[in-house]
Amino acid sequence: MARTPATSRRSLLFGTAAVSAGALLTACTSNEPTNREGAADKAAPVADDKPGKPVTIGFAGPQADHGWLNAINDNAKSRAKKYSDVTLEITEGSNDTAQQIGQIQTLINKKVDVLVILPADGKALTQVGLQAMRAGIPVVNLDRVFASQQAYRCWIGGDNYGMGLNAGHYIGEQLKGTKNAKVVELAGLDNLELTQQRTKGFNDALKNYPNIKKVARQAADFTVESGQAKMAQLLQAQSSFDALWNHDDDQGVGALRAIDQAGRDDFLMVGGAGAKSAMDAIKAGNSVLKATVLYPPTMAASAIDLARALGQGKGVGGLAEFEIPSSLTLYSAVVTKDNVDQYLPTGFI
Amino acid sequence: MTQPATAAQQEAPTSAAKSAGEQESSRRPGLRWDVRTLSLLGVLAVLVAVGGITAPDQFLATSNLQLVLTQASVIGVVTVGMTFVITSGGIDLSVGAMVALASVWATTVATQEFGFAGILFTAVIVGVGCGLVNGLLIAYGRMVPFIATLAMLASARGLALQITDGSTQVVTVPSVLDLGARDAYILGIPPLVLIFAAVTVIGWLLLNRTTFGRRTVAVGGNAEAARLAGIDVRRQRLYLYLLSGLCCGIAAFMLIVLSGSGQNTNGNLYELDAIAAAIIGGTLLSGGRGTIIGSVLGVLVFTTITNIFALNNLETAVQQIAKGAIIVAAVLVQRRSMRGGDA
Amino acid sequence: MAPQPPLLTMSGITKSFPGVRALDGVDLEVQAGEVHCLLGQNGAGKSTLIKVLAGAHQPDSGEITWRGERVTLGSPVAAMRLGIATIYQELDLIEGLSVAENVFLGHEPTSAGFVVRGSAARTATAELLKRLGHSEIDPTTLVGELSAAQQQIVSMARALSHEVRLIVMDEPSAALDPEEVDNLFRIVGDLTADGVAVIYISHRLEEIRRIGDRVTVLKEGRSVAGGLPAESTPTDEVVALMTGRNVEYVFPERPKGGFAEGREPVLKVEGLTRRGEFAPVDLELRPGEIVGLAGLVGSGRSEILETIYGARKPDGGRVLVDGTPLRPGSVRAAVRAGIGLAPEERKAQGLLMLESVSSNVSVSTLSRFARAGWLDRRAERAAAHQAVRELSLRPDNPDAAIRTLSGGNQQKAVLARWLLRGCKVLLLDEPTRGVDIGARAELYAVIRRLADEGLAVLLVSSEVPEVLGLADRVLVLREGSVVHTADARELDEHRVLDLVMEGSLTP
Repeated sequence: MARTPATSRRSLLFGTAAVSAGALLTACTSNEPTNREGAADKAAPVADDKPGKPVTIGFAGPQADHGWLNAINDNAKSRAKKYSDVTLEITEGSNDTAQQIGQIQTLINKKVDVLVILPADGKALTQVGLQAMRAGIPVVNLDRVFASQQAYRCWIGGDNYGMGLNAGHYIGEQLKGTKNAKVVELAGLDNLELTQQRTKGFNDALKNYPNIKKVARQAADFTVESGQAKMAQLLQAQSSFDALWNHDDDQGVGALRAIDQAGRDDFLMVGGAGAKSAMDAIKAGNSVLKATVLYPPTMAASAIDLARALGQGKGVGGLAEFEIPSSLTLYSAVVTKDNVDQYLPTGFI
Repeated sequence: MTQPATAAQQEAPTSAAKSAGEQESSRRPGLRWDVRTLSLLGVLAVLVAVGGITAPDQFLATSNLQLVLTQASVIGVVTVGMTFVITSGGIDLSVGAMVALASVWATTVATQEFGFAGILFTAVIVGVGCGLVNGLLIAYGRMVPFIATLAMLASARGLALQITDGSTQVVTVPSVLDLGARDAYILGIPPLVLIFAAVTVIGWLLLNRTTFGRRTVAVGGNAEAARLAGIDVRRQRLYLYLLSGLCCGIAAFMLIVLSGSGQNTNGNLYELDAIAAAIIGGTLLSGGRGTIIGSVLGVLVFTTITNIFALNNLETAVQQIAKGAIIVAAVLVQRRSMRGGDA
Repeated sequence: MAPQPPLLTMSGITKSFPGVRALDGVDLEVQAGEVHCLLGQNGAGKSTLIKVLAGAHQPDSGEITWRGERVTLGSPVAAMRLGIATIYQELDLIEGLSVAENVFLGHEPTSAGFVVRGSAARTATAELLKRLGHSEIDPTTLVGELSAAQQQIVSMARALSHEVRLIVMDEPSAALDPEEVDNLFRIVGDLTADGVAVIYISHRLEEIRRIGDRVTVLKEGRSVAGGLPAESTPTDEVVALMTGRNVEYVFPERPKGGFAEGREPVLKVEGLTRRGEFAPVDLELRPGEIVGLAGLVGSGRSEILETIYGARKPDGGRVLVDGTPLRPGSVRAAVRAGIGLAPEERKAQGLLMLESVSSNVSVSTLSRFARAGWLDRRAERAAAHQAVRELSLRPDNPDAAIRTLSGGNQQKAVLARWLLRGCKVLLLDEPTRGVDIGARAELYAVIRRLADEGLAVLLVSSEVPEVLGLADRVLVLREGSVVHTADARELDEHRVLDLVMEGSLTP
């Protein structure tokens, strides 16, 4: 889970956001997918691109109420379109557990060959995962993990602990020569486990650098508004520090605004998740934002690949085993000015 | 059998004593207001002392005063509108959603093409439009304010989500962004704080010095009596929700300036913050009494608490617990001091 | 009165509310400069009539003529523009606003149309208060901090702040001390001397004789007499007009051999008092006896009942059941000791309107049907059914929704609740309010049967014949004091009305 139910919860009340209206979104649907498709190709080439046995993949995700989840859907769709042997049955996203269960049961009844499920709530949807598995439909569990291993054949998802770890190591290396370096953390929504994992990874990484001390941590809630408010307070509290890790690029928009308003540029900032705006800023190199740690939405494309391999009874390339692994944790790469061009197409809006 | 004459004699002294006692208290008009406001000022003073002791260098800096006031300005403007609605015996649960909708509508690519004026105009019009719908539903559709504004909360949030599809709409209009920048300060006062101050002053005058304010209090105090006094209660209610919408539109514009973006998650839980600030400020939730100064003090208390916690690097969990405790404490202090005033 | 065209003529005014015909053909004629008194029992339609006159209610039919022209009083503003001001009995002031703000509410002196000129309002208010003989009231005081009498003065100042030709005063003396009443009469005299007409509503005949010019009597929504001379019409005639009835009530027979004489009283009230509501009250209630409290609204009847029940905390005195004093101000203690109350506002205070008959009946006895918190719903329903059957409640269905029942049957459900609980003392506050005339006889029979079975009943009713017909003994209340106690058979309606209306002033 890259970002937060704070927004998704709400949509539980507000029904479905259908297709977009704004000009920004037109851009999103018309231009982006082709780019993303290419990027996913480079990032994770599949062993077998030749058409094989036809596979119907059912895809059920939460409501795409923010950029990262939107990107998940786009990645899944464009990846499936690429294969002539894959038919994608995609449900309308929902954050209502009961509704999502219903959607998945419909897919089970339709007897799809493989299911890809990004549950709104992993624990609450475990039973329906079990149902699918018992019905003989292999389940690829995307990102938010089910409570039981029996509920999925394969799990693929991001690494929140790794995000923190890599952010910490990047900052550690950058500040290697600095004595008594001070670091500040702007966390995401504090009542989410993922936020705690990110912080733990970050702390663990910093232990390797005795010259660095984390002097402050405040939690925002993944929104621009909260990012601005909390960052402004942090800047007031800490008159000087050397590096900042911000868990989420969306709240980072607000954080950058606060930094700009305070007129501060005496530190380096590392973001999280991999929004396009953040990558643009890294590429431009004219702000404190020097890097961002990925939580790649391309995992949806990989999930389609895994589902197709499962449906066709094949393994994945590059591994000695006949079977695909039961679990795949993605690497949270650090995007810097040096490699930003490579990742820019995967940046989400 | 009691003798009638005796009964009359017994009655008379009691009621005379009673009215004498009440006359005495009536010679101190407005005392309760002062006590309530003073006790809130006291709470604020205690907070300032705590801030000054725990984080002396940062808390007492001019830049921190600017920061606190800026952070208070957006919710402050919303709270001024909310104060009017609550004073009239109503409630507006849709303020946060209206801020969200106005902020995203005003930051679409299409709107941004019209520059500063386009963004300001759209934010205000969207706020007023939502307020108009609220007002019509409540005043003429006879809907309960709680339900009507809850419906608006749902619809406006939904529409905001639909417009953005969850993405953050970054503002690229320089004149809007500049308004939130440090060099836009006028005599060291951030423009957003000036807007907040202006809204506060206008709100105070409106509530205390105009027929509109008088009628707002009357409708909240006793709607039937207000009607019998010749006040068009329904039209008054319409105007009140319109006013709340207008404040939300202004707040949305301020939030755009502050955060440099529009997002459908903006204004999250503003309704609760605004209601809480108004209530601890001394506005009666049941209507009939309202104070703009109290509401603004309430907002400042909340913002100062948040500021002190952030400066001392306290955890979110601790912040939430303490915030709840301080709400209760502030209200209890007021009760106590009011009782003292009565005695 | 010099003969001149009347200031106001109302003719054939009717007004219905759902289920009630409040006005059923009222005629009223008021001359400029006169004090015209409106008389009538509670529910005769006085309040509705003055609300029509104030533009707050629209009549269903009838004509209103003002200074020779036919008018429609479409809103309170329309009435005020004509110069009609109303001082309501239920004070219609806003407590959170100051005196001056209340006086000028709705017609504030302004600059630029909306900025209130507060000082102008305060000065004008101070002048009005001075004219009313109450210059000690500070125009900046919040009305909520004033006494009831002072609020009455503010209401009057508000009426006078308009250009008035007619002032309607609904029981203006109810909240006033004797000296204040004198002051009020002085004001009324000044007004009429200036040619302003006053419609004066009061229950006190003595007042009407002092300041009234003419009297119009209302009964059951109709004007039964108009333009009677206030000074010379005999009290007998006025009371007869007010009380004359078309329907004879059928009351159950009282048991032979006296009412439970010689039995120990089950309820004893000793010196019970609440300041401002009622003076010390003593009474005894024996099993099998019905005692009635007669008096006007505001005489303290309901307050006494509610204080016995523990819903109000007494300032002095005590309540004993079977010789054991109850904890004062505790409903729980009263209910445990076996006291039950059927409140005046049945729908608001007595019934769970959305629930069934069965749950309404069992609500005070729930623990009897519960095991570890789980309700035995079958037992609950059966017991409730038994109780309502004993009172021959219609329909004979404990699952019927209470709101679908008639007023009389709703009242029976309330009685059944206490029957089921097995209480010893039943306090009935206006048990027949909202009950059809036809259904009343049945309700009376039920109440009498409960008494015969050993219950002690304390009955409050504003309908004097009801108290006289049903009760064994009657206590007459006036302004919070018991002014007379007698065997019900020794009293008649005229005597009671005489006592409650004039009390101390007739020898």
